[in-house]
Amino acid sequence: MSTKEERERIELLQGTLDLLILRTLLRGPAHGHAIAKTIEFNSDEVLQVEQGSLYPALHRLIKRRWIAVEEGTSENNRRAKFYRLTSKGRKQLKVEISRWDKLAGAIARILRPAE
Amino acid sequence: MRCSKRLLEELDADIREHIERETQDNIDRGMLPEEARYAAMRKFGNVMRVKEETREVWRFTWLDELWQDLRYGLRMVQKSPAFAAVAVLTLALGIGANTAIFSLIDAVMLRSLPIEKPSQMVVLRWSARKAPRINGYMSSGDCPSNLRFGAANPSGCSFSEPMFREIRNTNQFSGVAAFANAGPLALTGNGPASMISGQLVSGDFFDTLGLKAAAGRVLELSDDSPTASPVAVLNYGYWQSSFSGARDAVGRTIELNGVAFTIVGVVEQRFTGITPGSDYDVWLPLAAGPRISNPRMWDDRQEKVTYWWLTILGRLKAETPMLQAQTAISGMFRNEMLHGPIPLFEAGGGMPGPPRPRGGGGAAARQLVMGGPRPAGPRAVPPPPDGPQGSTVVQGVAPPATGAPGAVRVQSAPVAQGQPLPDAANEPRTLSKPDDEPTILLVNAQTGLTGSRNQFENPLHILMSAVAIILLIACSNVAGLMLARSAARQKEMALRLALGAGRMRILRQLLTESMMLAATGGLLGIVFASWGAHAILSFVSSNQRQPLAFAEGLDVRVLGFTAAVSLFTGILFGLAPAFRSVRVDVTPTLKEGFSASTKVSRAGTRRFSIGNALVVTQVALAIVVLVGAGLLVRTLQNLRSIDVGFDSHNLVIFGINPSLAGYKDAQIDTFYRDMQGRLTETPGVKSASYSMVPLLSGALMATMFNWPGTPQDRQLESDVLEVGPDFFSTMQIPFVAGRGFDFSGYGIAAQARQSLFNGSKQPAVPTPVIVDQAFVAKFLGKENPLGKRFGQSAASQEGPASPGYEIIGVVRDTKYSDLRREISPKMYVPLSALAAAFEVRTAGDPQALVPVIRHTVAQLDPNLPLRDVTTESQQIDRLLFQERLVARLSSFFGLLALTLACIGLYGLLAYEVARRTREIGIRTALGAQRGDVLRLVVKQGLLLALAGAVVGIGASMGVTRYLKAMLYDVRAYDPVTMVVVASLLILVALAASFLPARRATNVDPMVALRYE
Repeated sequence: MSTKEERERIELLQGTLDLLILRTLLRGPAHGHAIAKTIEFNSDEVLQVEQGSLYPALHRLIKRRWIAVEEGTSENNRRAKFYRLTSKGRKQLKVEISRWDKLAGAIARILRPAE
Repeated sequence: MRCSKRLLEELDADIREHIERETQDNIDRGMLPEEARYAAMRKFGNVMRVKEETREVWRFTWLDELWQDLRYGLRMVQKSPAFAAVAVLTLALGIGANTAIFSLIDAVMLRSLPIEKPSQMVVLRWSARKAPRINGYMSSGDCPSNLRFGAANPSGCSFSEPMFREIRNTNQFSGVAAFANAGPLALTGNGPASMISGQLVSGDFFDTLGLKAAAGRVLELSDDSPTASPVAVLNYGYWQSSFSGARDAVGRTIELNGVAFTIVGVVEQRFTGITPGSDYDVWLPLAAGPRISNPRMWDDRQEKVTYWWLTILGRLKAETPMLQAQTAISGMFRNEMLHGPIPLFEAGGGMPGPPRPRGGGGAAARQLVMGGPRPAGPRAVPPPPDGPQGSTVVQGVAPPATGAPGAVRVQSAPVAQGQPLPDAANEPRTLSKPDDEPTILLVNAQTGLTGSRNQFENPLHILMSAVAIILLIACSNVAGLMLARSAARQKEMALRLALGAGRMRILRQLLTESMMLAATGGLLGIVFASWGAHAILSFVSSNQRQPLAFAEGLDVRVLGFTAAVSLFTGILFGLAPAFRSVRVDVTPTLKEGFSASTKVSRAGTRRFSIGNALVVTQVALAIVVLVGAGLLVRTLQNLRSIDVGFDSHNLVIFGINPSLAGYKDAQIDTFYRDMQGRLTETPGVKSASYSMVPLLSGALMATMFNWPGTPQDRQLESDVLEVGPDFFSTMQIPFVAGRGFDFSGYGIAAQARQSLFNGSKQPAVPTPVIVDQAFVAKFLGKENPLGKRFGQSAASQEGPASPGYEIIGVVRDTKYSDLRREISPKMYVPLSALAAAFEVRTAGDPQALVPVIRHTVAQLDPNLPLRDVTTESQQIDRLLFQERLVARLSSFFGLLALTLACIGLYGLLAYEVARRTREIGIRTALGAQRGDVLRLVVKQGLLLALAGAVVGIGASMGVTRYLKAMLYDVRAYDPVTMVVVASLLILVALAASFLPARRATNVDPMVALRYE
């Protein structure tokens, strides 16, 4: 369903953010703020995501049908939007992870050729 | 995709929610609320940019999906090209017919005037509660006028020349221009003599209109003076056709009615005349009027406030609102009319009533009344043979001795409609009140100058309704096709729904497909339309005396119309089937495919009834168009089969006006005799004669006279026609009693005419007249008409005593001006010293003799142009052109409607047969005969056609009364037409059902049972 322009953008940083969002949602549905917090927390706050950039990414993922939206109530009983990984998204996550591994491995080999 | 829209709408709330959570977290971590919020905002980043980027994510979706839909649609078209071809062709015909008629409506009614800033241009229109007391009134025919003998609330657009100067002096407009028809113009000095059309315009006419010259210069104020040398400017088209567009045409001299004019320029191409459809060859300054006209007819009108003959245009100043200018002009007009040196209206008090003829009896009171364009009506009244196109010439001849105002009877075209004029005795005598005083209205020139537009309005509206119905038929036809196809695609749709496609998404895709079909149909329709419109316009043009200059071709408005119609069609026929598709119940539909159950699905029955309803609608609509067409065709037949009272075959007609070439009174009569003699001697000619106007040319003259034994001021009316010797034998109008005119009769008539023109002695004996049977029936009853005298008048202040008329013969009734007008009392008078139309009875094909006749006349006088050379049958055709146009086009549209409806019926039945193949197979296997199967299908077709016919006839009963004005001798509810149309339709429907039925009988039960 994705178009050419988007595929080209995959290599950009946003692609990484997409990957992180998908990975985060693998544990279960979450709302926007929770996703941002989880990414921050899991990376030992190394990755300081500008929280706003989460939203274009979420919409992009919705459009590609990798995640879906559902209404729900959050822990403090407020209405919230929960983002959920779709089966398509699950598959995509695998692809993305292996792609990331390849990329990371390749960069690592270049940066530390001695090892 | 609706969900994306909702997501975006909720984005604001989502972001707010997010920031609040972050703030709360920060507070929980011990920050102060203020600080916490600030930190949260900073962490979130630029909200505006986030929103922008999020929106950006969705931007291309619509386009992407549209592209996807289009590709998918194209693939579907490739899969079923026959379906696509039928659908596109049907739509193209529907849309094309609409575009063609609309482009005509656009050309005739909606195009803006071919001048600079047309919205600023106004035409002046006067109105009052009663007619002004004037001596002459001439309308250019560009603007509807309602000035009839005795009519209340008259109005019109003609003004006197002094009034024009007054209006110019008020300085309310940035420019004022006036124009009038130039009358017949005989042109010599550029090849053989010819008749051309011209307009007299004020010197600042072109300047006011903002028109430039294509060559040379346009007219200037200095040209418009009695002392200036006569100049003319040419129409661009005329310059091209008659001067081959030669540059050196400017500066050349031509002779118009024997007066030399220098061509000073050519007007720019877009301008052929101020009024839509008008097309003049030359424009001359107003001051040239008296030089090219018969002084008697001209009547010194330039200085008279009692001769109204100019149509006035004003260009509004930017700073003066229309109403302000109107108030000023109207006030001036009213003041001038009521309190000027010659008050033409009298305010307050009792009024003697509108002007009426009080001239002496006999020929002195004769009026020339020509047909002109009528205010509104279905029929065309061709222009008078002696006046320029579209003019109403009303020429009153007042007895010279008195010059009393109001010696003119002003009659306009309504006479041609056969409306009786009110008798002088019971004419309304309105009392003038302050509020019925004369006023001037400023009317936007675009709406005010109707010209020949009026005569096309009614037929165009009728045709537009017909094509609108065609479009509906086409829509329901294609909807039926789509429906059948959507049924076939139900499984596909169910599958897609099951796989998670949104219903809106599927709906959109189906609509895209129908829009694709509609757009293709629209494009093809434009091609059809331009052919159609061209054909119609040239048909119309070939039936006019003067060329019609309606702009052809497509403009933005027409293209916009077509686009709108296509869009509308696409939605209309696409929507119903599309909704059906999304309503599909997924499970049973999918199951049906696999289990091939014997049950006919419930969905099937419902679809069946929608299909049926569509076919019934189509048939009913087709019936409406066909009935309308049938009535119009019957009208045409009735008009054609009318007994006109004379032999209209093998008759050549042409007009001639020797006074334009300098012939005077008796010379004219001698010339006519010579020509009559020459023509009669020509081989192939049986006889020849002449009359003031030809019969059945649209022109009509009437006269008023006093009947002996009634009060002197009581006037009766009869049609009148001046004729030459042998008129009745040439026209083959048989005598019922009495005899024809002899030489002495012409002598008396000549003397009567002389006295009319120059006040010489009236003849001592009454003018002999021949009357028709209607005249006898109305005025004489059982009395012996021969020798009866009437129309005598005693000497009065308005003229000398007149001996009146004496009836010397009675002839059979004939039609006069046109076919529809009832035969009314008519008298024939010997013709003397007038323009005339010659009638030449030929032995064989009249057309073949035309060159010979031209040659004969040229031998007699090469400087005398013939006008309107035609045959009587052509003239009748021209008279009936509107009926022919409408009958022809509506029959075409009727057949189109019939074809489309039958395609619809065929399509439905074919689909039914395909769907019921299994059922038919089983029936056959169980022993059904071929006849049974045949009947099964044909019965359905027949029932549908019958239902449609019943509904259609009901509907047409309600609709055809709008056609009433166009019908002749056939009732709007004509049962014959209805029955014929219904039987035709049922026959065609039978044929359309028979084909699928045949296919049904060929179903092999074995194959059918294995089907699916």
